[in-house]
Amino acid sequence: MNRAMFLAELRMGLSGLPAQEIEETVADYDAHFSEGMAAGRGEAAIATALGDPARLAKELRAEAGFRRWESERSAGSLIGAVIALLGLATLDLIFLVPFVCVVAAILIAMFASAVALAFAGGAVWLVALFPGMMAVGPTGILGSAAALWLGGIGLIAAAIGLGALTWLLLDIVVRGLVNYARLHFRLLDSANNPQPQDKE
Amino acid sequence: MSESLQVQLKKGVLEMCVLALLSKGDNYAYDIAARMAEAVGMGEGTIYPLMRRMQNDDLVTTYLQESASGPPRKYYKLTKAGAAALKSQRAEWDAFEIAVAKILGDAS
Repeated sequence: MNRAMFLAELRMGLSGLPAQEIEETVADYDAHFSEGMAAGRGEAAIATALGDPARLAKELRAEAGFRRWESERSAGSLIGAVIALLGLATLDLIFLVPFVCVVAAILIAMFASAVALAFAGGAVWLVALFPGMMAVGPTGILGSAAALWLGGIGLIAAAIGLGALTWLLLDIVVRGLVNYARLHFRLLDSANNPQPQDKE
Repeated sequence: MSESLQVQLKKGVLEMCVLALLSKGDNYAYDIAARMAEAVGMGEGTIYPLMRRMQNDDLVTTYLQESASGPPRKYYKLTKAGAAALKSQRAEWDAFEIAVAKILGDAS
């Protein structure tokens, strides 16, 4: 692999990131080739020591996704961070997949419970507001509008609490995975055992 | 997981090593990569994701400086936060090293 091929593959792997970030990154690696050649090394030797450009691009993209999630906790940046984690998972975090599936199932169940509670609260409230909606309404103290009103508030508060707890756990899980991924990908292919270059 | 202990150790202290190198003077990525590759066998390409992350974490800043040969070089400089991070990581490392040395000494 020569300089032009390495940089082209890197650029292709980075597509989707902000243009400025792509330019800066490609310029970094381009400068690395210049320095290496000034030191008397050949293009192919430098490319081999740098490692697989597709893999480097994945790490850089993952880092960008993690940063966005850390600076702005939103649904969009969460999806970005998860996609970045999945991109790395295809490389070497594959053994984490069962763990992630279990945690995801728990979180989804918690979220669904929160939604169900919110609906139940809303329904109880509607009954309190429009007692005529139910043909056979509850009687006694349970049937009083005030009791229904309070019950509705209680259910909705529980829904909000459960929703917040879900978000909190999600935050902890994603942060933990991000830290793990960072530690894992930071060093890997060393100059002593270069990755096989099979894309020539 | 078949990773050797050595690789695991290197991963954990990579950032500290780069911080330590920069504490001795500003430097450019190629030279940092070459030193790290020689000293601990780090893949040269991994220096750039690491430097980018350290820059985002405000541990280092960059500036351009003319070089005698070729285009200007991007130099990395330790920030105050970077110096503080080095100090605390170093303290952790030293404590760890002493603890391990003690156990190894007891065992022999």
